Amino acid sequence: MKDLLNSEMMPAPTPDLQGEPRRRRPAAWPGWRVARRFPLLNIGMVLAALVILASLLAPWITPYPADAGAVIHPDLVLEAPSFAHWFGTDAVGRDIFTRVLFGGRVSIAIVVGVLLISAVIGLSIGLAAGFFGGWLDAVLMRVTDVFLAFPALLLAVALAAMLSASAVNAALAIAFTWWPWYARLARGQAASIRRQGYADAAIVLGAGRARLLIRHLLPNASTAVFVQMSLDAAGIILTAATLSYLGLGAQDPIPEWGLMVAQGQPLATTAWWVITFPGLAILVTAVAFNFIGDGLQNVFDPKRGRS
Amino acid sequence: MSDLLTVRGLRLGFGKTEVVHGVDLQVLEGPYGLGVIGESGSGKTTIGRAVLRLHPALDGSITYRGCDVLTMTRVELSAYRREVQLVFQDGDGALDPRMSVQSAIAEPLAIHRTVARGERRDRVAALLAEVGLGSDLLARYPHELSGGERQRVVIARALALEPKLLVLDEPTSALDVTVQERVLQLIERLREHRSLGYILISHNLAVIDRLSESCVVLYQGAVVERGRTRDLLTTPLHPYTRALRAAVPELGVGRPPSTSRLTDGPPQTSSLLQPAGQGCSYADRCPLAVKMCRSQTPVLREVAGREIACHRAEDSLSL
Repeated sequence: MKDLLNSEMMPAPTPDLQGEPRRRRPAAWPGWRVARRFPLLNIGMVLAALVILASLLAPWITPYPADAGAVIHPDLVLEAPSFAHWFGTDAVGRDIFTRVLFGGRVSIAIVVGVLLISAVIGLSIGLAAGFFGGWLDAVLMRVTDVFLAFPALLLAVALAAMLSASAVNAALAIAFTWWPWYARLARGQAASIRRQGYADAAIVLGAGRARLLIRHLLPNASTAVFVQMSLDAAGIILTAATLSYLGLGAQDPIPEWGLMVAQGQPLATTAWWVITFPGLAILVTAVAFNFIGDGLQNVFDPKRGRS
Repeated sequence: MSDLLTVRGLRLGFGKTEVVHGVDLQVLEGPYGLGVIGESGSGKTTIGRAVLRLHPALDGSITYRGCDVLTMTRVELSAYRREVQLVFQDGDGALDPRMSVQSAIAEPLAIHRTVARGERRDRVAALLAEVGLGSDLLARYPHELSGGERQRVVIARALALEPKLLVLDEPTSALDVTVQERVLQLIERLREHRSLGYILISHNLAVIDRLSESCVVLYQGAVVERGRTRDLLTTPLHPYTRALRAAVPELGVGRPPSTSRLTDGPPQTSSLLQPAGQGCSYADRCPLAVKMCRSQTPVLREVAGREIACHRAEDSLSL
């Protein structure tokens, strides 16, 4: 992937055969050149934008919005893809195209929820540990290590199994296993920023602890956290799908992709479309966010992108 | 003239390793410059940080206008740091990459509320003008500035609280020669306009010569020679000062005798860990070292109008 990025790097403007300097097309928006230099980021952003847009507009652009809920069409059971039903229908006759688009809303809500909860918890704990150091650091990081010692998916499954099965509880269970990564990341950032000249400068200029934390540590640690969030989005979608696939997450009639895959599994040989389209939705969305995460990492870390 | 800052017997260390072994410094009321000369690892940056209480002192005293700096409470320390500021070695790391020039220079004004919110912008622009920068830089971020511009922004920020004393830690060493010159001119101008006292930490003898009245030469955390800058740089007596002097590249001017050249780098850690009090720390590199230099630690004494810690200072005079 790195080679691909390198080969796409913009060459310096060179005079062409007529000896007239080649003009760079004026950028429509400042991020345009960044986007051109990192094509995967570009593809990821377009894909993610399509997924998000389609999910948000689902009630208006799907042919049978009612099929996202608890309806039954006994006359339309397991219809193959056609003009009327692009992705076919499921075992109770609901339009799968409609349900896949609505499913995006569930996944996005879970991703946003999990990221917010784990970033807030992780940043607070990590910044405090890295900034104050000493015994507080030791205690907070040992607690974090305990959480990290369990395989994340197993912990999430165990927790989700303890709570009643629902999309919200699945999100809580995932967040519970996800925050320690943010805590570790934020702690490392805080500890390294604390040693920078500008942290000392702020102290000499009279900044108290609160100011140092909020005005200097938080903004400087947030870049790495932000990149990590975009990298994690794909993993959260997959974990949420896994939980619902195992029956520990969203329940029918909620159109959750993992749940739809689980429902389609016994029909895989007779009605391939039931399992295929929600599966593709998971794949496309996960890949899109992965591209964005990787791309952002390269944008924010020029050494990585150019080496 | 009275003392602005007095440092007595200052000992500093990292963990259990002592790196500064009882240093005395004296800065008079400004305009006055005290130069601190030494190679990397001599403890000069740590001394600068200790003056601002960024590094804890193991022993000794720091007195600012009669007040004991080391026992100051939080509130007193805050007031002290309004009058004493540090200009960092590297303008790059000293500026928060996420803060514009405007917010960086306005930060001390906001913290100490010395200037009303509405007037801060004008004040910041005035400070920028004072260090020779235009107000077009206000919205820029550190990575959009050149090294010289960054260093001047750092100086402007340190001046925002109208300090009486500055600790200038290698203010020009990260800069190109031409940019160095402009920063030096700036410091010269500021010292007269603002009656600044300052401690100028540098390994560059030309900078020390130009900007300081008196200076101390540090070797491995101890003062080896102290006196008026003019005397020390024209007729250095301590073999180490002589070696530093001889190491300055000059254009077509004669050099001091070759016996005083530095022939090798600073000693390795193993010799740094040797217990103090076992002879002169410079003996291993010194061309004049005799038996006594390895058994007795020289103490500062007055020779030819300066203080020097060398058993053979008188012999240096006749060289």
